[in-house]
Amino acid sequence: MSETRTIRFTLNGRPASAAIQSHHNLVELLHQLGLFGARESCGQGLCGCCTVLVDDVAVSGCLYLALGVNGKSVTTIEHLDESGTLSPVQQAFIEAGAFQCGFCTPGFVLMTHQLLKQNPDPSEDEIRHYLAGNLCRCAAYPEIVEAVRLAARTMKQARA
Amino acid sequence: MIPFDWVEPASLKEAVSLLDADDSTVRPISGGTALMLMMKPGFFVPSRLVSLAKIEADYSSIRAGGDGSLRVGAMTSLAELERSAAAIVNFPVMKGALQTLSNIRVRNVARVGGALAHGDPHMDLPPLFATLGARVSVVGPDGTRDIAVEDLYLGYYQTVLKNNELIAEAIVPPLNGARAAYKKITSRSADDWPALNMGVRLEMADANTIKAARVVLGAASERVTRLAQTESLLTGAIVNDGLLKRVSESAAAEARFVSDAHGSAAYKRELLRVYLPRTIKEALS
Repeated sequence: MSETRTIRFTLNGRPASAAIQSHHNLVELLHQLGLFGARESCGQGLCGCCTVLVDDVAVSGCLYLALGVNGKSVTTIEHLDESGTLSPVQQAFIEAGAFQCGFCTPGFVLMTHQLLKQNPDPSEDEIRHYLAGNLCRCAAYPEIVEAVRLAARTMKQARA
Repeated sequence: MIPFDWVEPASLKEAVSLLDADDSTVRPISGGTALMLMMKPGFFVPSRLVSLAKIEADYSSIRAGGDGSLRVGAMTSLAELERSAAAIVNFPVMKGALQTLSNIRVRNVARVGGALAHGDPHMDLPPLFATLGARVSVVGPDGTRDIAVEDLYLGYYQTVLKNNELIAEAIVPPLNGARAAYKKITSRSADDWPALNMGVRLEMADANTIKAARVVLGAASERVTRLAQTESLLTGAIVNDGLLKRVSESAAAEARFVSDAHGSAAYKRELLRVYLPRTIKEALS
């Protein structure tokens, strides 16, 4: 029962495999593979620090069993600037000063990517609703909302 | 958490056969968000989890009937339900209720069947679906049975479902012009677990006269409950301030409240007293 199992999945666009224990969650899997951008903070799916995309859907890695990503595609914060260039959302967070300590930032950035993909021009209300499940203990919320709007404008201009 | 056995059946029948009527440490897992919250602190220690991932595709459709009804596969995510035009057009009350249900990541992962089967009285889907008169189709080793959502819950985390039964589908009957409203009252942030949640479904004889009523309470009590006395007060009554006051007193007296981290029983009683008239007014607005 306690033997390790091997799972195979796509990690940030590349084939990956890992030997895991049945009870390990997705954050533990990523840490095992040397990716530390997703952090377990509240451990209850409330704070968003462990946000990871599974098959392009945002999940809380702390509530997701590692076994569950077998055969699926996992995208983490580390994927966004692998080309050497920051994504428009990452750039906007820097320009708006949307963080202090940065612990929550990977989650906010990934959630913002998802939001802008689904809704390229969100209202402030829609931004706040979408990010309601991400907590910033430095309380950079006004700057975060501004960063989302800035990213939306940048991405709109890039499309034009 | 400690290790457990993990199986991925390829059919619903196989899933049922891998469960065990007499062993509650063998459990099905769909989205797993609620189950993980119980497993991490050791409240639930599984010996085996039966993953429903491989049968997801067969049970994740949302279909609107020509009569205004809705059939929701048990493996539909709460986010898919929230974004479903068929669900929202036929049942506008669902949109607001789902948007404040936990957060988008949990709604992306949590499944309708799991949310109905878990038996946590704080969840939104059970009282919402009970308000709408929904039923579930439940598959077990001896076949399929049909259960009203309001009859699923026996107590705190206790349901009438056997350990080897699985919800396959939820069926929401048409509103047929009935008015529905759902309110969730939290004592901290808007997307927190509620201190009280409440649904009202009113069939109207005319603009002011109620023909039939359903009033469902969640979170404040140990299980999702219909308030039968309050419903009978509403039935056949003309809506006015006097009625709303009587109804609100009746509900506060009828419901059984439980104190928890989200509010004391006395606070929840007061919430119900205040919010029931508001919910009725919202349904009729």
